[in-house]
Amino acid sequence: MGSSVSHAAAPPPPPTAVGLAVALPPKQDEKAEPKNVDWLNLPCPVPFEEIQREALMSLKPELFEGLKFDFTKGLNQRFSLSHSIFMGSMEVPSQSSDTFKVPTAHYEFGANFLDPKLMLVGRVLTDGRLNARVKCDLTDNLTLKINAQLTNEPHFSQGMFNFDYKGTDYRTQFQIGNNAFYGANYIQSISPHLSLGTEIFWLGHQRKSGIGFAARYNTDKIVVTGQVASTGIVALSYVQKVSEKVSLASDFMYNHLTQDATSSFGYDYILRQCRLRGKLDSNGVVAAFLEERLNMGVNFILSAEVDHRKKDYKFGFGLTVGE
Amino acid sequence: MAAKTSLKGKGKAGKGSKGSEEGSSAAKCVKEWSTWAMKKAKVITHYGFIPLIIVIGMNSEPKPQLYQLLSPV
Repeated sequence: MGSSVSHAAAPPPPPTAVGLAVALPPKQDEKAEPKNVDWLNLPCPVPFEEIQREALMSLKPELFEGLKFDFTKGLNQRFSLSHSIFMGSMEVPSQSSDTFKVPTAHYEFGANFLDPKLMLVGRVLTDGRLNARVKCDLTDNLTLKINAQLTNEPHFSQGMFNFDYKGTDYRTQFQIGNNAFYGANYIQSISPHLSLGTEIFWLGHQRKSGIGFAARYNTDKIVVTGQVASTGIVALSYVQKVSEKVSLASDFMYNHLTQDATSSFGYDYILRQCRLRGKLDSNGVVAAFLEERLNMGVNFILSAEVDHRKKDYKFGFGLTVGE
Repeated sequence: MAAKTSLKGKGKAGKGSKGSEEGSSAAKCVKEWSTWAMKKAKVITHYGFIPLIIVIGMNSEPKPQLYQLLSPV
């Protein structure tokens, strides 16, 4: 009796590990000690052209005006055909501030062959335009990408060859395009979260050249990127992943030659049955894009873009069938 | 931007200007042939790319049937 009273008076001893906790190794306090960075084994950075991909995915959905119907039929695990119908207005770029819309309707037939080592995607429209993309893994680290738009009209076709080399913690790319376009870019991981890159290009026919620098900092929750180019463009972006389903993005672009600055702010909700992206711009443009999964393989799309300043209202709807 | 397919032509013209007269006419021939080759390659790609993908796809494993190309099911 006496012993129990004295026991109660003293502060209780710390509980000893019981049951399963004995079998597991003691939990290390990871937050307290900084993780040792292995400077020789940094992760491979994202490709240079995808440095702003999270911001682009959230802020620049493929808005359209009119009706869009896409049907993809898989014949094989790797081979599929696609049929696509579009009826609506397409914007023609014009010099004045008025938007110039041309009603168009076209049918597009496409064939895709997707192999881990070789990817061939071709799309042909009713007016004879061909859109071709080839991606071929020549070796484990070297990839060849070809992108071409061929038209029936002479002198309007474009093509670009890209050679990508992926190193352990860097990536480099060399581009050759028509019009004697040559470009190269290089991106390197400096730390587990930070990567810096640079690019140069030379346009032969117009004797123009340019150089640009980019930086990307990403953790699990945020991605911050910045790009500066000698063509007078500064682009910054910030994406925050608020939760598994929600991410918010903002973007700022400044063009020094035209003294023009634009910033936009958007959200991206990825829910079980739908994906909703919305954006608000400093030019007075409000846009939203909804992809709703009605059934397995059937997606319903709604697109809206309202430009208050130019009084341009674009609404589109569509259906995508197939994967 | 207006596009031209004479990508190789520009490089060859640069080489031609350094050489002698004979060298420059040979370079001109090479430039003409390469332009002709690029034009033919563009036409071949334009008409043949999608059939090429279909042929490669129909020969990949597991082989799909011919009717599956046309039927909407």
